[in-house]
Amino acid sequence: MKRRFLSSLSASAGNSKTLNQGGWSVKQVKKSNFKSALDEFRTSIDSSDFVAVSLENTGSHAAAWHRVSAIDTPQTSYLKAKYAAERYQIFQFALCPSSLHGSKLTLHPYNFYLFPRDELKLGMPSYSFSCQASRLTAMARDGFDFNTCIYEGISYLSREQESASKFLSGNPILPHPIALPSSPSTVADTVFVGRIRSRVKNWRQSCIDSSSKTGDDDLVSSLRKLVLGSEQYGSRLCLTIDVCSERQVQLILEMLTEFSDDVVPLLIASKSRGTQAVRAVFMSSKDDKDLFKRELHDLENEENRRVRGFREVVDLISSSRKPVVSQNYLSDFTSIHAKFLGPLPSNVDDFTRSLSSAFPNVVDLSQLMKEISPLSNVSNLPAAMSSLNRFFAPVDVEVANQDEGNQMHGQNVVMISHLFAKLSTIQKSSVQSNKDLQALDSDEHANSITSNDENVKVWSKNSRRVSSENLVFIWGLSKKMTAAMLKKVLQKSHTVFAQEFDVKYLDRSCAVLVFWDSGSSDTFLSAVNNEEQLVGSLREMVAEGVRVAGYDTYRRACRLGFWEADLAEALDKTLESSASDRDLDTKPSDISWSSELTINFDEL
Amino acid sequence: MRRHKRWPLRPLASASVRCISSAAETVTTPTAAAAFPLKHVTRSNFETTLNDLRAHVKAADFVAIDLEMTGVTSAPWRDSLEFDRYDVRYLKVKDSAEKFAVVQFGVCPFRWDSLTHSFVSHPHNFYVFPRQDHHEFLCQTTSMDFLAKYQFDFNTCIHEGISYLSRRQEEEASNRFEMMYDDEEGVVETEDFKLVRLADVLFAERIKKKLNEWRSELLHGGNASSESPGISNGSTQSTETVFYHMRPALSLQGFTSHQLRVIRLVLGKHFGDLVYIHANDKSSCSQDFVVYTDSESDKENLLKEAKDERRKVAERKIQSAIGFRQVIDLLSSEKKLIVGHNSILDIAHVYSKFMGPLPSTAEKFVASINDHFPYIVDTKILLNVNPMLNQRMKKSSTSLSSAFSSLCPQIEFPSRSSDSFLQQRVKIDVEVDNVRCSNWNAGGKHEAGYDAFMTGCVFAQACSHLGFDFEHDSENIAQNEKLEKYINRLYLSWTSGDIIDLRTGHSNAENWRVSKFKYEKIVLIWNFPRKLKARQIKECICKAFGSTSVTSVYHLDDTAVFVLFKNSELVSEFLKVKEQLESDNGPVTIIHPLSKILEGGKTGAADYEAYKEICSSHISKVLFSDQAETVGVKPRTRPETERRESMVAVTDNDKASDLIDAFLASRV
Repeated sequence: MKRRFLSSLSASAGNSKTLNQGGWSVKQVKKSNFKSALDEFRTSIDSSDFVAVSLENTGSHAAAWHRVSAIDTPQTSYLKAKYAAERYQIFQFALCPSSLHGSKLTLHPYNFYLFPRDELKLGMPSYSFSCQASRLTAMARDGFDFNTCIYEGISYLSREQESASKFLSGNPILPHPIALPSSPSTVADTVFVGRIRSRVKNWRQSCIDSSSKTGDDDLVSSLRKLVLGSEQYGSRLCLTIDVCSERQVQLILEMLTEFSDDVVPLLIASKSRGTQAVRAVFMSSKDDKDLFKRELHDLENEENRRVRGFREVVDLISSSRKPVVSQNYLSDFTSIHAKFLGPLPSNVDDFTRSLSSAFPNVVDLSQLMKEISPLSNVSNLPAAMSSLNRFFAPVDVEVANQDEGNQMHGQNVVMISHLFAKLSTIQKSSVQSNKDLQALDSDEHANSITSNDENVKVWSKNSRRVSSENLVFIWGLSKKMTAAMLKKVLQKSHTVFAQEFDVKYLDRSCAVLVFWDSGSSDTFLSAVNNEEQLVGSLREMVAEGVRVAGYDTYRRACRLGFWEADLAEALDKTLESSASDRDLDTKPSDISWSSELTINFDEL
Repeated sequence: MRRHKRWPLRPLASASVRCISSAAETVTTPTAAAAFPLKHVTRSNFETTLNDLRAHVKAADFVAIDLEMTGVTSAPWRDSLEFDRYDVRYLKVKDSAEKFAVVQFGVCPFRWDSLTHSFVSHPHNFYVFPRQDHHEFLCQTTSMDFLAKYQFDFNTCIHEGISYLSRRQEEEASNRFEMMYDDEEGVVETEDFKLVRLADVLFAERIKKKLNEWRSELLHGGNASSESPGISNGSTQSTETVFYHMRPALSLQGFTSHQLRVIRLVLGKHFGDLVYIHANDKSSCSQDFVVYTDSESDKENLLKEAKDERRKVAERKIQSAIGFRQVIDLLSSEKKLIVGHNSILDIAHVYSKFMGPLPSTAEKFVASINDHFPYIVDTKILLNVNPMLNQRMKKSSTSLSSAFSSLCPQIEFPSRSSDSFLQQRVKIDVEVDNVRCSNWNAGGKHEAGYDAFMTGCVFAQACSHLGFDFEHDSENIAQNEKLEKYINRLYLSWTSGDIIDLRTGHSNAENWRVSKFKYEKIVLIWNFPRKLKARQIKECICKAFGSTSVTSVYHLDDTAVFVLFKNSELVSEFLKVKEQLESDNGPVTIIHPLSKILEGGKTGAADYEAYKEICSSHISKVLFSDQAETVGVKPRTRPETERRESMVAVTDNDKASDLIDAFLASRV
């Protein structure tokens, strides 16, 4: 008997008590109840219109400048997110399949605990991961249960890891059908194939004989086996042919196609990489062959399911092709890609392409939010929610889950789902069918970043678009220098500063200068780098250790992965690294510069 | 003072157990045997425990320690390998100590009690968790799984673990505070900050008026109502007349930092005798005051007082942030004999967490650890190096738990204590929270506190086998000649209890000096076609350089091998040929035997020094080939002279040869 726990709350316009935190019943999933939860999840996702996701990672950024900021182009933002996604671990993966009918939003929130377990002893899914102490402390403050997570978290393998592990798990596998005939054979190949062919022929004949002649007594049949080197695979007869190279495997498989009616080849992997042997299994009939292939397939599926773990859930979402709503597109999906799909590609376009093949409809909630309510900050969900109160968009929330004890974790995902429902209601006041909903997602909001995006949207009222080429990084300054002081010093140092420019510290060690005229940055850079032009106070500054570099150096620092704690250190290292190592993507791109830069100086 | 005690639910069967209460406290001696839990120390009981521990350590004859970490190797090839020279081994230890966190720290002081002819031990299990700003650490998944298997309590560790600052971090923190005062001293730069916005101008006017009123009320008596409502209706801002350092002051509450800047500006412009003070009280809440001073000298005094107070608060803050390091400082300042089991990694962790960044070489590390801990003894060395002890171990493994079972069965199986043979063993009592017990077995293996206890027991028993008479010798164990050969020696390798295998099995330093030249005969090859195995690589090279040119080939991981050549000339020859083949596109490149290794065009090769460089990088890629590419070692040979120099430096240093002797001695 399934008792449903219904908690509903009307959060329509003008109603300020939008979401009561900690009030929703979120199903907590660990190793022990994963199997049953998975079946439940499958039904929930089938009936849903979209899925909200929310991840809890062991860290976000190791140093102030590693955080994506206004000076980042899509490519550098991606590289920063990639760096974080590869280092940190997902401890908690909250998912909420949701369906919206009229104003009624039905939610099925789940919260999965994840922990990477090296079950195959192959260093997979991950050999190690980083933790940010402050992040763990913050999670502890929110009551996160680390023991549950580490003792009982669900493990997983990415798609790429799974295919690699298949070979290493030691189970026999069906070879892929041979697509191309192999390269012209040598004399040695012919001799090898001839020898194996006659061996297989003899063995096969004996199999046929023994299956027709049941009169043989045990002694004779076992002698026969001994002589022919025939063994049994399950209840079937088989022959194991040892191989020394992948070339031989290829040759044997080609040769065995001659006997494809009643012989099925299997590959036996060696402990280290590679194939150790080919096993030919004799089929008594066509039906037997189908049965055998099915058995093998089931066995493989069972094994895969065990190894795949939580990725099963990711695959379900992927194959459902439902829109996936996330609060923080870049950081969430780089993590998802890195952990469950495969290694992250080195540039943002490849990433977007690779991601969209798995998740065709991805909604960046913050992007959507900016269009509807440009001033609000989606990182604070309750605040974002209440900022929408000026719209009339009634959404009734109903959480349909079985009621179980402590449900406090994974509440965010409910809010994300709710917020998205509300935003969609506002945007298309009559969203009825999920067809509309999907149209909305795929149109303009999905996959919102590409490296060609030179027209980054202006999202703050006092921000201006500026080409990345107009930025100059400056470091090696005195520790007590403030932005205002620096500006004053610079104004006296060079004529280029007679025009309007802006100064902002990016971290403790490095500031960025923003010129509004193109060309000014080049003038300044060449002035600093030219012995003769370098005069007066500017010369003095350089002598005292001030260094400058253009945006290209920053881009290269990100690309080369110089993720030092201080940006100054990273830029220094980049300049030191060989100049021959030029970047290919040097085309200028625009960034959105806001004088109220979203750098939190309290954290510096 | 009485502390909460937990008595066992399940008394032990043995009747011969006796529990003695300490003299200081009258505790009713339980008639039944008692077992009590390990003393766990977290943030909440740290201060009180530290006070007790101080006395125990002062009185102790030696202190056993043990650490639990979040991992050991940051990449599979970072494990110690057969071809690791001792300096490379140190780099691997260093990498481990720098990357992983300590989550539990066991400290167990042992004191000889001549009244009862037994040792009294005080096992402490500290939960440690780093809470410094921007601190990041690595977790090895298998180690986390291992901790989980032994029911390590991660929640206690992260919620309640004691934080710490290293000496270096403490210095940095006080420098930072220093700089902060200087900033606060500075007057608001008026040029810099102008009242532009209308809101600011109005606010400044309002404040000016308000301060004028307050000041004149103060001076002329007036109706000094101490409370004033918020400046604007419904705002949380309020001012209240209070006393700050015996002077009348206006406490400012609920203002934004921008508004406070405006207030400071107004004060600087219009009120010479009113001083703005920003203070942190003990609960680290910041408070802002406008204080009235009656003269310039009074003003100076006030500023000085405020500065001193801020400094005191900062010092207190830093002091409390030092946290667990106080335990380390205690061990160090008492100069007690520190006992560990296979403890090079523990000591390296202690150094990097509580002293400062680890030195770049083993020699410097050893010298510097000596300054902090003059006496360290490693029970693993003791058991392996001393033939008699080694015999006693009956060739069983020298892992801590098996050493404990074979040397201290009287503690592990107390029920058998009637056995006369066992009664000759060293008696070890345990005292937790002033309750003493002569047979204590809290079980919890791989709880750092219990492991430290076991280590100490093993050490005490080993000393007794070495002929120690604790009645006379307990005072100065560290200087006892019987231990001389073992003290201050550590194993550099930590894998699975196995001792470094120098391959050739040399058993003394003379031979080792010969064998060290083998590193010049080594070439490192990575990123060759994956399908190639060690055997095939050997074949290829032998085809090119002669059938006896290669002594052996050894896998670092799937992506890299060490090739040991017959002589060092072949190393440079190999690297030269490789370079030639790569720059040449002629037909030779295809038929050359090495082309099989170079297939794919990504194969890298370098000499042993490059391996050291790769190991010294703070990057850790899982695959060695990725690591080599990322570190960016250019395939090259080093000039001969340079290599010589680095070799000489090794042998010159006494400390280094000590180390070398230590791990050579292991090959008994």
